[in-house]
Amino acid sequence: MEIRKYGAAKRGAKALVAAAALAVAAGGAMAQSNRPVTVIVPFAAGGGTDITTRAMQQGLSESLDANIIVKNTDGAGGTLGVGEAARARPDGRTLAMAPVGPLTTQPHLRQLPYDIDSFDYVCLAYSAPTVIAVRKDSEYQTLDDLIAFAKANPGKVTFAVQAIGSIPHIAGLALADAAGIEMTYLPVNGDGPALKALLDGTADVFIPHVSFYTSNADQLNSLALLQKGRLAEQPDLVTAAEQGYALDFPIWGGLVTPKGTSAEDLTRLETGCKAAVESEPFQERMKAVKQPSAYLGAADFAAFVQDKYDTNRKLLEKAGLLSK
Amino acid sequence: MDLLLSAASQIATPMTVLCIVLGTVFGVIIGVLPGLGSVIGLTMVLPFTFSLDQFPSIALMLGVYCGSVYGGSITAIILNTPGTPQSAATALEGFPMAKAGNADLAIGWVTTASTLGGLFSVLVFVLAGPWLARFSLQFTPVEYFALGLFAMTCIAGVSSGHLVKGLVAGGIGLMLACIGVDPVTGDMRYTFGSFQLSAGIGLIPVIVGLFAYSEMFLRVLEIDDEKPAASHFRVGFRMPPWREWRLRLGMLLRGSVLGSFVGALPGTGAATAAFIAYSEAHRTSKRRENFGKGEPDGLVACESANNAVTGSALVPTLALGIPGDPVTAVMLGALVIQGVAPGPQLFQQNLDLVYGIFLCLIVVNLVMFAAGALGASVFTRVLRIPEPILIGLILIVSTVGAYGVSGSIFDIWIAFCAGIAGAVLRYFSYPLAPIVIGMVLGPTIEMSLRQGLILSDGNILEFFLHPIASALFLLTLAMLCWPALRARKARRG
Repeated sequence: MEIRKYGAAKRGAKALVAAAALAVAAGGAMAQSNRPVTVIVPFAAGGGTDITTRAMQQGLSESLDANIIVKNTDGAGGTLGVGEAARARPDGRTLAMAPVGPLTTQPHLRQLPYDIDSFDYVCLAYSAPTVIAVRKDSEYQTLDDLIAFAKANPGKVTFAVQAIGSIPHIAGLALADAAGIEMTYLPVNGDGPALKALLDGTADVFIPHVSFYTSNADQLNSLALLQKGRLAEQPDLVTAAEQGYALDFPIWGGLVTPKGTSAEDLTRLETGCKAAVESEPFQERMKAVKQPSAYLGAADFAAFVQDKYDTNRKLLEKAGLLSK
Repeated sequence: MDLLLSAASQIATPMTVLCIVLGTVFGVIIGVLPGLGSVIGLTMVLPFTFSLDQFPSIALMLGVYCGSVYGGSITAIILNTPGTPQSAATALEGFPMAKAGNADLAIGWVTTASTLGGLFSVLVFVLAGPWLARFSLQFTPVEYFALGLFAMTCIAGVSSGHLVKGLVAGGIGLMLACIGVDPVTGDMRYTFGSFQLSAGIGLIPVIVGLFAYSEMFLRVLEIDDEKPAASHFRVGFRMPPWREWRLRLGMLLRGSVLGSFVGALPGTGAATAAFIAYSEAHRTSKRRENFGKGEPDGLVACESANNAVTGSALVPTLALGIPGDPVTAVMLGALVIQGVAPGPQLFQQNLDLVYGIFLCLIVVNLVMFAAGALGASVFTRVLRIPEPILIGLILIVSTVGAYGVSGSIFDIWIAFCAGIAGAVLRYFSYPLAPIVIGMVLGPTIEMSLRQGLILSDGNILEFFLHPIASALFLLTLAMLCWPALRARKARRG
């Protein structure tokens, strides 16, 4: 009897070891350190915003002398993550990589618990144009081809929209407005599905970010770069302006903190952001996707956001998408 | 052949091998922990890939990916709590087998089936990649809608004996999937003004609640019931004997083919594949009366299918640049940084990379087998932990999992509510798997239906002009009539 009891105890001990193993594994998932800085990415891991932010991680960490945690809070077109940043304590320990959509288009589309006044602006980290893209073997080789066909066949050109009220959507509406054409808008769930819709023949055209276009350039043709001048990194991309349509739709993002962050913290973060943007991993990433480097300091970034906020409001109003 | 050898020499570096082993073991652990799944695992290793060379970083990600798809099945078997959505079907047979004391054997079945299914899809990846990529482009929104409807018939397979209750559960899943942003108009649905709900209800917190929490709640309520002695549970790893395996080679092959096929279609995934394979096994098996009581047929079918997704899901990701799900999206993002340009030319011009991935995947699947076999003695011992301690541990670990998806306390509340709902539903013997099926398929079905209607100008009859879709519609109809036909035949016979 004694022996059996001992056996049970031993088994119990083994079981406890197993349990401890589980617990340790779970604990490892939450690496802790002293006063880390959290950067909220309002989109899923692996996307453009996420990878750009992660490329800044090292530079930011060295400059701020703190661990940087990149936290993906995806959902509702990026508003969930940006909203979380608006609610955070303004102690300079919570930032968000706030992109164009959640900052300057979504607040016009629906009621949100934040607006552009809810933030202090640290820096613009990236900005790059979009392109009007078609399949490589498409019958449209120039913007004029597309417009001529759409004029003759109203609604026959199908335009894949990654998200309602997103910059690509607004850009498409602006193109239709400027050229006086009608297109069918097909909502899809992001760049990948939009590319799929083009390749399987469901849609004719979509507007991706130039870096997405570049990494899929074997299957896509660019009809027009939606920026005022040509891109130094890819000078062969013809702009829409050269073809008679002054369309300028960059996709950008920058670091923001909750309103009320101290001037001291803001300066520190601004310096950190500049260092991160200039750091090697970040520059390499930009080079890999042939994207120009863009940086604006705190004051310039705040003015930039206000300007885009007003412009996008006008565009959405014209398209009849405004909610309030 | 030269290319294969040169790829082999690239793989055979200590760093790459180390990455494969660490990645796979880490993936299995991530998969085992309820809530933490493939995406979180890959996100956690993402920063490391930035500083690694191309092959080691690919090896690391493939290891995490395949390991995590497999790992979820362990928890499904031992605790009736799928560690990942991909393994929700595994619990249906795995847990009854473990309850009968044969957890070691159940792990033997799923480990072998996962490895063989994974290896099958590796072959598909390298031999049929470009063809499969072209095939996947045959699937436009109309075909996705038809496939989604067909997959919904799985509800019948996973709710044996409780068909009406299964349909109710499936309806709950579909309704939960409606909450949040309307995918076509951008309007808010059923959020009751709640900002948090505007992102919809996450699948992972619901699974954690429905399975892990509700299981623990029920165990707490029944805590004084007579329980089998701890020694009743065999620990370790037991290979199913060949005479048992021989009977199920057909199931294995069918699961592997199904998984490879579903995996190649962007936008579906391992969870869908596992459910379809399980219900196919349930429909065709000679031992169908054993289903729900720990029948290996079901285990072999769903585990070979979900692991067969791994290789073929890489096909559209690499050959078209279209990642099928968040998991492959993270991998593609990291591969682009590594200088990999996806597209049709990859399978022609970049063969050393294709072969490298091929060899990596083979090794990953073998390491996965070893990790499962060696880990089984630890995992199965969990069953011998005194129940109060075990319940406490599971609750803590799965709460971390629910929180970890998007780092939101709100998700823990969702999991908690789902836990209570799950306990109530279980008490009234509602099957829970249909809720998962509804939540997984709901968005696909809705989006593809509405896209199809936009493209056909609102004329649903045009859907029947698509041959593949029409065939799937007919197949769906046949599946729905099948039980009635069988019953009639049985009456006559």
